[in-house]
Amino acid sequence: MATSATLPRQAIEIDAALRQCASGDKLALKRIYEAESARMLGVAQRLLKRRALAEEAVQDAFVLIWRHAARFDPERGSGLTWIYAILRNRALSILRDEKRTETSDTPIAEETASEEDDPETVMSKLSDAKALRACLEQLPEQRRSLVLLAFVQGLTHGELAERVKLPLGTVKSWIRRSLLALKECLG
Amino acid sequence: MSPSPDLPLGPEERDMLAGEYVLGLIEGADLATFERRLEVDAELSGAVARWRSHFAAVDATAPAIPPSSELWRRIEAELAAVTPLAARPAAATATPVRPGAATGSRLSDWWNSLLVWRGAALAGAVATILLAVGLLGALDRARRQPVMVAVLLTETNIAAAVVNTFGDGRVELLPLQAIAVPEGKALEIWTLWDRAVGPRSVGLIERARSTPLRLDQLPLGANQLFEITLEPATGSPTGRPTGPIIAKGTTAQAL
Repeated sequence: MATSATLPRQAIEIDAALRQCASGDKLALKRIYEAESARMLGVAQRLLKRRALAEEAVQDAFVLIWRHAARFDPERGSGLTWIYAILRNRALSILRDEKRTETSDTPIAEETASEEDDPETVMSKLSDAKALRACLEQLPEQRRSLVLLAFVQGLTHGELAERVKLPLGTVKSWIRRSLLALKECLG
Repeated sequence: MSPSPDLPLGPEERDMLAGEYVLGLIEGADLATFERRLEVDAELSGAVARWRSHFAAVDATAPAIPPSSELWRRIEAELAAVTPLAARPAAATATPVRPGAATGSRLSDWWNSLLVWRGAALAGAVATILLAVGLLGALDRARRQPVMVAVLLTETNIAAAVVNTFGDGRVELLPLQAIAVPEGKALEIWTLWDRAVGPRSVGLIERARSTPLRLDQLPLGANQLFEITLEPATGSPTGRPTGPIIAKGTTAQAL
């Protein structure tokens, strides 16, 4: 899914594989796994930092994809986006559970993110062909960072405020204004 | 943050909430409210789908990390154990639920059958029997020492409830404080013995009252976390705690 040239073909294949999953074809799920599991693990790892938790999120996501494949509606977006939504929901829920129950000395929120997960590195990797990149570029750097830190690393409003040393209310309103600007730009 | 699900959202508010949701910024009880709304509000789910498809480009920048070779085997093993979707009640499919969290559905089966009983003409007789069983249980309990105890503390360190575990495998929750439960909400009790597995629901009560906890085959040991969270009346829609923590504590051996 990295380049726009391969995306349409791949997206159609995922849609078809999801229909086959809905009719009970486990080989179709395996095809999705072979095509996407490495990228999915990368997304989960950026959110969860810990490899074992990231694998748990991917495992849960595939079980959910299998069980809910019949609910996938191509009218509502691509199958590829749908499976990443399931993965992200699982990973975020594991992340919130970890934070609320953990007793370890190195809380997950304080684990160092890889430099690759840094907002400006993510920006540099965003496809030029994507409207999102151009629209994110129009935001002031600090606001762009808040949006990307939330999405990529799963930081909460409170954690973002701590990270940028700004009051919670300011961070919330900056995010809202950034979303508003993105919405207008993306059309 | 999320307005009542009954009020229509203006287009701008809808897009902003949808954007915050996709960024992962809606949490806790607000998240549960938002997700319920998402099930019934097509315009809202359309707004979420638009944000998701734009932000898919960011997920595409994630490094590809080859999963360990056992991951697919673990998925297959779990699929083999999962109840077929068609066999589950429709409500359970409304939101992705944690796979394998059979405790919740067993609990709801039990509640459903209880509701049926309540409606039945024998309700009075059943109540009498339950009362008798409850009294016998109380007398029996008085004679026995718990093996392990967990004191569940609120955020302000007030003991809100205790969990007692007994030698015969019974586990019970005894509230020590009245807990305010808003309309349409319930108290759900969770236990966590292994963070890799995550918390499992072991009980759901509509108000603070003593209740047996259903640990069934779940492990039980010292230093095991128990917590009470505020959830929708039918229990957490996700199979994981979603609402605020009312109280929590870990088990310790009784002397």
